[in-house]
Amino acid sequence: MRKEIPQFIVLIAGVFMAMQFFVPHSYSQFLYRYALDWLIIIGIFALALAVWSFIRVSYEKIQRKADNWPYAVVSLAGLFTMVFAGLWFMGGLESYLYRHFFSFIMIPIQSTMYALLAFFIASAAYRAFRARSLLATVLLLAALVVMLRFNPFLGPLGEPIARLADWILNYPNLAAKRAIAMGIGLGIVATALKVILGIERGYMGKD
Amino acid sequence: MEAIGVWTAALATIGIVSFLYKDNVLYRICESVFIGTSAGYWFVTYFWDNLYRKFYLGIQDATDPNRFFLWFGVVLGVLMLTRLWGKIGWLSRWPLAFVVGATAGLYMMTFFVSNAMRQVGATIMPIFRGNLPAIIDNTVLAVGVFCGLVYFFFSKEHRGLFGRASRVGIWILMITFGASFGYTVMSRMSLMLGRFDFLFGTWLGILP
Amino acid sequence: MKRTMIALLLMAALTAAIGRAQENPAVDPVPAASPPAPPTNVVAADSPDDPGRSVTVRWQVSADDGAGMNNVIQYKVFRGEAAGGPFVERGVAPSRATVYVDKGTEAPNDPNFFPNNTDLFYKVAAVNVAGETAESEVAGPVQAREQWYNVGRTPTFIAVIVFTAFTLYFIARARKKADLYIRPLAGIEAVDEAIGRATEMGRPMLYVFGLGTASDIATIASVTILSRVAKKVAEYQTELIVPCYDPIVMTIAQETVKTAYYDAGRPDAYKEDSVYFVTQSQFAYVAAVNGTILRELPATNFYLGKFFAESLLLAETGALAGSIQISGTDEVAQIPFFVVACDYTLIGEELYAASAYLGREPKLMGSLKAQDYAKAIIIICAVAGVAASLFGWTWFVELFRVTN
Repeated sequence: MRKEIPQFIVLIAGVFMAMQFFVPHSYSQFLYRYALDWLIIIGIFALALAVWSFIRVSYEKIQRKADNWPYAVVSLAGLFTMVFAGLWFMGGLESYLYRHFFSFIMIPIQSTMYALLAFFIASAAYRAFRARSLLATVLLLAALVVMLRFNPFLGPLGEPIARLADWILNYPNLAAKRAIAMGIGLGIVATALKVILGIERGYMGKD
Repeated sequence: MEAIGVWTAALATIGIVSFLYKDNVLYRICESVFIGTSAGYWFVTYFWDNLYRKFYLGIQDATDPNRFFLWFGVVLGVLMLTRLWGKIGWLSRWPLAFVVGATAGLYMMTFFVSNAMRQVGATIMPIFRGNLPAIIDNTVLAVGVFCGLVYFFFSKEHRGLFGRASRVGIWILMITFGASFGYTVMSRMSLMLGRFDFLFGTWLGILP
Repeated sequence: MKRTMIALLLMAALTAAIGRAQENPAVDPVPAASPPAPPTNVVAADSPDDPGRSVTVRWQVSADDGAGMNNVIQYKVFRGEAAGGPFVERGVAPSRATVYVDKGTEAPNDPNFFPNNTDLFYKVAAVNVAGETAESEVAGPVQAREQWYNVGRTPTFIAVIVFTAFTLYFIARARKKADLYIRPLAGIEAVDEAIGRATEMGRPMLYVFGLGTASDIATIASVTILSRVAKKVAEYQTELIVPCYDPIVMTIAQETVKTAYYDAGRPDAYKEDSVYFVTQSQFAYVAAVNGTILRELPATNFYLGKFFAESLLLAETGALAGSIQISGTDEVAQIPFFVVACDYTLIGEELYAASAYLGREPKLMGSLKAQDYAKAIIIICAVAGVAASLFGWTWFVELFRVTN
């Protein structure tokens, strides 16, 4: 029973969500809208569970004085401060502390992480340049052509390179993207089918 | 207060950038603060947006006679929490099953339409129209899609003519990945310049 | 400067005016003197393929729209619940338009409420430059009805049924005939080697889902791969680290890994904390995973699922740490970074095939065969489409146009 009921729920929910695509009737739309709401509500309970796991893992680290346990204290402090800042008597989402933590800690770290991409992409490009295989060379050449398209110092070479880059982006690129997209589409449908029909159930747990 | 804010932001920026050199204390502090505050941030945001606005206010909305259906979501959510009690933990598979099943059904259809049907529709086009260059371009497009698809065949040996088509397919994929890579390299550079602008402009005031 | 601008604007206006006059030399817009001719043949019908609350009104343009006095600027559409009225204006359509879709909401208190299954009557009025109107005859009665089936989506329906039938057929066939050929995938073949390496080195393995939520099928596919990987990890007694971004994915992953350890006969070796939640913030998650990579120095990193800008940050850090990296995503924009920074990359559909490859169960392999047949059909359709377009058979192309 412990296995059959979940599989039955998967089947019912899956078949309904797939079929509602073909049923414009308001009954179907009604259930569809509520199903989406349920997913959102389940999400917040799952988040509570996840935050609990976070607290437990950090707390255990601190308790057994594991390597680098002081950092777990910092994380927990950050978490509790933020939750406290967002409580109703602090003003909820409009709380001063909550918004300032967001602007002065989260935003700068976030944009710096994003900016780090530039360095990482440089080292990735270096890695690509050392590539020895033929396929990697093809990748590299295409990358070079597209990068040079933006280069104003190419003189008379600029025009043909820009045209080649545009051609690559408009034809081979589009062709490959379409082929990949179709493959992904079929892969998604096949995976979803296997899940709904219970052929793939590794995620469902045992006992 | 603003000044404290800018200083915190600057220290956080330096801390994160220092990761490029190596893992160090400042980075670890920034990382821990970032993880903690962001986890708290999203918890608070989802609590107010989803549980409070969607459920708590929704259930009080007298104009919607069907609002009690929202309770079903809460029941599933509470079942999720049964994981915390070992003995009845298996009940948490019910909401999981609902999430997985509903998602699978929903996206099965959306992706089938957007990725299979629409793409096939876009690929079916008159190749032999226009002048010679246009015909060549369209042929490259059609052959590209064909070879790309051949590359993704799993249950047929990639040998002979089929193998050659698959080889062309992987070449076209690699050209595409290269082009996409080159394109992103150029755009990411501007992001980094933006961060330096903050450090040397807003914080230190060196830049005009 | 200003004068030049004004001169330019004047010239542009003049050119446009001459252009228009040349386009339509015979018909000179006549200043309004009398009401325009009314639109004719007004027909109102229930809009198809919807949950009701909508009626489509069609008409033939007024004789003074594009001809005659040529001074009609718009059409007003009116609705009433009796042929004799009263009528309420529902909306306007520009000149030359011949159709208007009247839509409303289901909430009875909403001013835009649209009743279903109620007799409705429509009329359309042509409005000229001077604001004079001429009303058509009343059309109706018509009822907005809800449909149980979206006729416009029939080709999609048939295609899905065919694909499902294929999948079931090949699964049934694969069960009988076990030796189904599948071509090797380097990324998959590397999994065993990678786990072996981790065991030898005594280092953990890192498994990252990326930013996918439980609503992404890529994540579900990744979970199925995790279940195979975790089983092998349990057999080899290697440590597995799974930092999660999405809470529901975390729960599913915990369940998956636990099951895999049970299946491998080593339930005692399962550690609850090996699958843990980090945060739901993209870059905080990256910061944490990157930190883990540098501190734990995993022998192997798996990045399988849905990835965005973090793909490169993770894969480069992993490469610097010297881990073997196996990646796969269906985010086309991120595949190039994985190709450059990882040892093996599963491209698009290969991610969805991976679980079947690792599981080697006939029923899963059967579905691969179905995917291949679907691709063959796509190729045949595309070739047939090119041929059809040569003969001018547009109906064939129409089959693939999905209506909403």
